[in-house]
Amino acid sequence: MKDVDRSRASLKVLVADANSKRGHALSQTLCADTSLEVLTVPAGLALIDAVQLHGPDVVLVDMERADRDALDSIRALSRSALERPVALFVDEDDVELMETAFDTGICSYNVLEALPQDVKPLLRTAIALYGRFRRVRDELAEAQRALAERRIIEQAKRSFMKNEKTGEVQAHRWFQRRAMQTSRKLVIVAQEYLAAQKNGDV
Amino acid sequence: MTVPIRIGVMKLADSAPVIMAQQKGIFARYGLETEIVVSPSWANIADGLAWNRLDAAVLFAPLALMTILGRRGHDTVLRPLSRISRGGNTIMLRGTNPAEGVWRMGGEGREMFDMWQASVGRKPRIAVVHIYSTHLLILRRFLKMIDVDIDREVEILVMPPTDMISAFSKEEIDGCCVGAPWGTEAERIGLAFCAGGSSTVLPAHIEKILVVSDALFRTTDTDQRMFSAMQESLSFCQMSEHRDEITETLALPLPEGGLMLPRQATFRILPGGAAQEALGFASGVVQPSDIKWIINDMATLGWLGHDDCSNLVFWTGSPDTRLVHADTSSL
Repeated sequence: MKDVDRSRASLKVLVADANSKRGHALSQTLCADTSLEVLTVPAGLALIDAVQLHGPDVVLVDMERADRDALDSIRALSRSALERPVALFVDEDDVELMETAFDTGICSYNVLEALPQDVKPLLRTAIALYGRFRRVRDELAEAQRALAERRIIEQAKRSFMKNEKTGEVQAHRWFQRRAMQTSRKLVIVAQEYLAAQKNGDV
Repeated sequence: MTVPIRIGVMKLADSAPVIMAQQKGIFARYGLETEIVVSPSWANIADGLAWNRLDAAVLFAPLALMTILGRRGHDTVLRPLSRISRGGNTIMLRGTNPAEGVWRMGGEGREMFDMWQASVGRKPRIAVVHIYSTHLLILRRFLKMIDVDIDREVEILVMPPTDMISAFSKEEIDGCCVGAPWGTEAERIGLAFCAGGSSTVLPAHIEKILVVSDALFRTTDTDQRMFSAMQESLSFCQMSEHRDEITETLALPLPEGGLMLPRQATFRILPGGAAQEALGFASGVVQPSDIKWIINDMATLGWLGHDDCSNLVFWTGSPDTRLVHADTSSL
């Protein structure tokens, strides 16, 4: 592996994300900055091998990647192929930035002895993108949850209508009243109704 | 609204005391609201503690000490709250064991190593779970005991314990030193044999400890309640009659509060099990003698300087940790 030329303008960034869609989106965003050389970890290649292969200045890692443990070993093992230190970026005076990065599920490593300039904007870009992906994921999960709840409530209402020989409006009112009386969510009451019916209690 | 105490664990049987304390409502009886965070890597646990995303974690001492000293991120004050487990690390090697059972020390062990290496056909690639782990220290001691130079004669890799089974089956690794139940699982499915481990190198050594953040340690009562809850859970986990229940709980999926551990191997390595390297649980505060060998070995490796060693001597044996009762009215 050749040594990094400190005098060059570009910064080598390795994006290591198990979520290929998000990794690609982050790479595309970073590529817009011509001062950056953006690299990714090919599927099947271990993170430590990718670091040894490319010799990046900075590594942005998806925290769900279990193989980031291996980066901790570089200094301790002093492997001849990569004797430069790997350190967790950001420095102590920017705890908030690092904590935000952790919240969004990203971590960054500095692979040089000295901290390269302009690394914080990189991390901020990654945080923004990871945050956007997380919001989309959370919204999708919320929509799926709401849909699942709706299915349960509809099933319980149909069952109630059949048992009580009544209409939908009455069934809805019955579940709503019961939820208010017991201070519980409508879906919980519906779930209990279905469970009781299954056990033959209704 | 109270903020739950976030406790980081890995998918290991050593996590049982924390998992059982949560599932059986022991933490709740001591007035503690807790959240278990199952981490994908040891780096996540150490960084979570360093960047205020975890309040406590089940951890091995070498990584805790390096985190305190700021050798892998910024330095972080961590306190050792309780012992958690003893032993349980297995040195597993791929293929067929040239010996009957674990290897003997000295020349006979060296002979077994040479025979095994010939069958592997390359410089053995041996994985540990983290570089700053008890596993690496145990492996170093084991190889030294059979006259094998770890620096020249084997290649050390790092990978999380849960990945080792597939790494064995793809022949990416030839051996590993790993915690319970992953070594026993590799043996059960015929991928590897046990050449040694905790009991052959350093019987009953303290393996995992519960460390807490300085902020939690300084919160009135909380550390004592947590210590007491852990002692109750540790007593439960130590009893062999609870092996079935603990196994079933640890085998549960993550959303149900388990760790998805392999059932048969977990049953074999818990206290009362028949595995070669059964795991033990250990109660009480962490004593200086529990980590003395670790500090010595880390100093030998050049990870700790003389001053580090002198300072770390005072890390353990917190005198003000006392038992409190689970009677919430007194809390």
